[in-house]
Amino acid sequence: MSYRTHASRAEAFVLDHERTSWHDETLWFVRQKRDKAVYAVPEFQELRNLASAIKDHTLSQLDFYLEQFEAAALANGVRVHWAADAAEHNAIVLDIIRARGATRVVKSKSMLTEECHLNPYLIEHGLEVIDTDLGERIIQLRDEPPSHLVLPAIHLKKEDVGETFFKHLGTAEGLTDPQQLTEAARQHLRAKFLAGEVALTGVNFAIAETGSVVVCTNEGNADLGVNLAPVHIASMGIEKLIPRLQDLGVFTRLLARSATGQPVTTYTAHYTRPAEGREMHVIIVDNGRTKQLGRPDFRASLKCIRCGACMNTCPVYRRSGGHSYDFTVPGPIGSILSPNIDLKKHSTLPFASTLCGSCTDVCPVKIDIHTQLYKWRQIVAEANGLLVAKKLGMQFMGRLLASPAAFKLSGQLARRGLRLLPHALSHNQAVNAWAIARELPEPPKQSFRDWYAQQAPTPSA
Amino acid sequence: MSSSRERILAAARANKPALMSLPPPSDFGGDASLARFSEVLASIGGTVVRLAARSELAATVQQLFPAARLVASALLTPTLVVDQQTPTDVLADVDLAVLAGEFGVAENGAVWLPEAQMLHRALPTVTQHLALVLDQRQLVATMHQAYARLPAGPGGYGLFIAGPSKTADIEQSLVIGAHGARSLVVLVY
Amino acid sequence: MKVALFVPCYVDQFYPQVGIATLQLLGKLGITAAYPPGQTCCGQPLANSGCERDALPIYRHFVETFQDYDAVVVPSGSCVYHVRKHFDKLEQTPAVQRVRANTVDLIDFIVDKLGITTLPGAYPHKVGLHLSCHGQRGLHQANESEVTPVRDGHLRRLLAGLDGIELTELDRNDECCGFGGTFCVSEAAISGRMGHDRVQDHLRNGTQVLTGGDMSCLMHLQGIVRRQKLPMKVLHAVEILNGIS
Ligand code: SF4
Repeated sequence: MSYRTHASRAEAFVLDHERTSWHDETLWFVRQKRDKAVYAVPEFQELRNLASAIKDHTLSQLDFYLEQFEAAALANGVRVHWAADAAEHNAIVLDIIRARGATRVVKSKSMLTEECHLNPYLIEHGLEVIDTDLGERIIQLRDEPPSHLVLPAIHLKKEDVGETFFKHLGTAEGLTDPQQLTEAARQHLRAKFLAGEVALTGVNFAIAETGSVVVCTNEGNADLGVNLAPVHIASMGIEKLIPRLQDLGVFTRLLARSATGQPVTTYTAHYTRPAEGREMHVIIVDNGRTKQLGRPDFRASLKCIRCGACMNTCPVYRRSGGHSYDFTVPGPIGSILSPNIDLKKHSTLPFASTLCGSCTDVCPVKIDIHTQLYKWRQIVAEANGLLVAKKLGMQFMGRLLASPAAFKLSGQLARRGLRLLPHALSHNQAVNAWAIARELPEPPKQSFRDWYAQQAPTPSA
Repeated sequence: MSSSRERILAAARANKPALMSLPPPSDFGGDASLARFSEVLASIGGTVVRLAARSELAATVQQLFPAARLVASALLTPTLVVDQQTPTDVLADVDLAVLAGEFGVAENGAVWLPEAQMLHRALPTVTQHLALVLDQRQLVATMHQAYARLPAGPGGYGLFIAGPSKTADIEQSLVIGAHGARSLVVLVY
Repeated sequence: MKVALFVPCYVDQFYPQVGIATLQLLGKLGITAAYPPGQTCCGQPLANSGCERDALPIYRHFVETFQDYDAVVVPSGSCVYHVRKHFDKLEQTPAVQRVRANTVDLIDFIVDKLGITTLPGAYPHKVGLHLSCHGQRGLHQANESEVTPVRDGHLRRLLAGLDGIELTELDRNDECCGFGGTFCVSEAAISGRMGHDRVQDHLRNGTQVLTGGDMSCLMHLQGIVRRQKLPMKVLHAVEILNGIS
């Protein structure tokens, strides 16, 4: 296997003890804000059930809702495009921009375009593409991928941002005050908004019955971009659909509370018709989603509304950082989406979890994330993604544990071996990863079964 | 029609699970009081100011925003006339927009602003400060009831606005005034 | 009621006192549990590594060993969760269904099956409770912080009923300890860090005795406590409930 593992990248991250503590605590703080908001809504669990059911229903009728959405959007004067994969999506975007003779593109957050690697593609074709979400702009200037679904620059400290702005935006050296840094970005990006010719956005929800797309932001960057530029292109995965406008009541109540603990995002924008004299395009993208829909064990991952709660709660994510996943969507949800895209490359992600289940418990649409992680593990192992040696070991263990006599013997050997080996050897970190941070248990003289056998004749109840 | 369209639809048809039922629209009741609305809005950085009467609007705005030079509004005499044709560079200078909100949502402090009340679609976000005028009888408890108030759909473009523009992208420190309006006042009568 | 005791493999080898305390406590409650000597493992270590297929013979062996009992009591929520949730891979014969339904965590058995909600005894120490995630979230042995701020659960109540005991209030009540089966070696760095943080939370909040219903998490945490030479004792809850001296 030539791919690096999650464990190796995580190990590098965790080396900086203080920074790991900071990262963990920062995200735990977000989780706590989420908890507070969730506890305050008595019907929250009922809302999760509803959201899950609405998404289940939509997926079970996806072809119908896609067509319904398209028809409604067309009737609204929206131009609808279909892209089977990332390449087709990117080409469509470029075509629309070229047809207008535009060169300046302002973009609000869209994980889909991230997944399609749209920015490098457009830049390669000579366009200026500006990410306008503050966090996205920061990482764009640093040439880094996002490390979180909703908090793309969460891995950075204010000192890092200060340095980046000093270098690229000409702020004072050593400026680290978030307020002042944000103001500098506001001024910088305002000029970009005013000059924008094409605005790209993602889509949080697409409403089949009205043909509207809904975009949720706190900064207002999507609306500012879209409403100042003559052309709006909204890119959406096929799974963004919900049937009715009324269903948004459920999702808008869940999304921001789960994401950041806010009662709702600052701006919930409903784009249905282009303004007079302007253009609105919607690109409907598959890129592996229909394939995932065809996997009964994994299709529920398509219900994701990208709130990021599973990241904030994940004890592994908080201590290994988003970049350790090396996938557009990091954290637990990324670990169940990525194997569908490239099983070999992402084979270690389903193992980057203790299966603690906290992700499943916070997920506003009730995706059985940790169960899917478990199931992906089976597929990875079957596909021989596991090292052959490990695999052989497992078969050996399987036979061993199915045979009482062999099991008993091996246990004795392990226990005695541990008793006899000198500490330096039994705790050699090169051969025993356990011993890096932990002592092995002190082996007792006698196993339970040995003790039991010595007891007075057992009444077998 | 493109072949990708047919391929995607065919794959969705082939791979979708058996039909699952769609739950009926829900409504959990809840508190639709002005007190609740004000409390929540304050918690997300907005302010509620009560007008004794709607006729006090101009005076109150003057009092709240004494420094606002270019004010766009259909509710009081504007210092800048904005309509759908107003060019970007003019919009860029707006200090304050005073617009009519249609209804408010008590659980989250959001106000529904339909396109018809925006003067220009960009105005609510391009303005430096935003004041929304709201009839206090037009409050609902939750988003379920909010969407139930839009039986004809959301219109060409419509916004729920909950507080001023904000970001916490730098170390989770909350900063008000990211790209949109730096402040939001809801003037209730 | 015919009751069997299942002692997880690592408990058998490394923590025999936990198996002994379980038998003794059950005895005090009027239950004579048999220990079928042919038992091995529930298969979880393999299955969680992605080798569920290789674990099927273990599952079958487990079912064969325990099919004649009305209850299979286990001092480990994690194993119970595995049997209940993942033995779905076997053909669901009546024996398999029976074993899946009858396999029960010791604490749940005491409270739910025997209807016992308090146990006599005193334990005048500050005790920190660590539930395994499989017990907590998998078997719902306690309220989840993801859902409610109210902290409750069978084990918490049983312990709280002991005289003189004080339970630690943690900063993060139900954060995972990082054991995770093979995760503890395949992701050793993160696992160690998680365990460290978990232990620190207990230390900061005054835990003298760290306990729980799953020896696997506790083995991991004990390994850290011992490595860092921290002033904290680690015991399975059954040792405390059985009246450890
Ligand atoms: S999987 Fe669930 S918790 Fe994670 S981002 Fe998606 S919706 Fe949120």
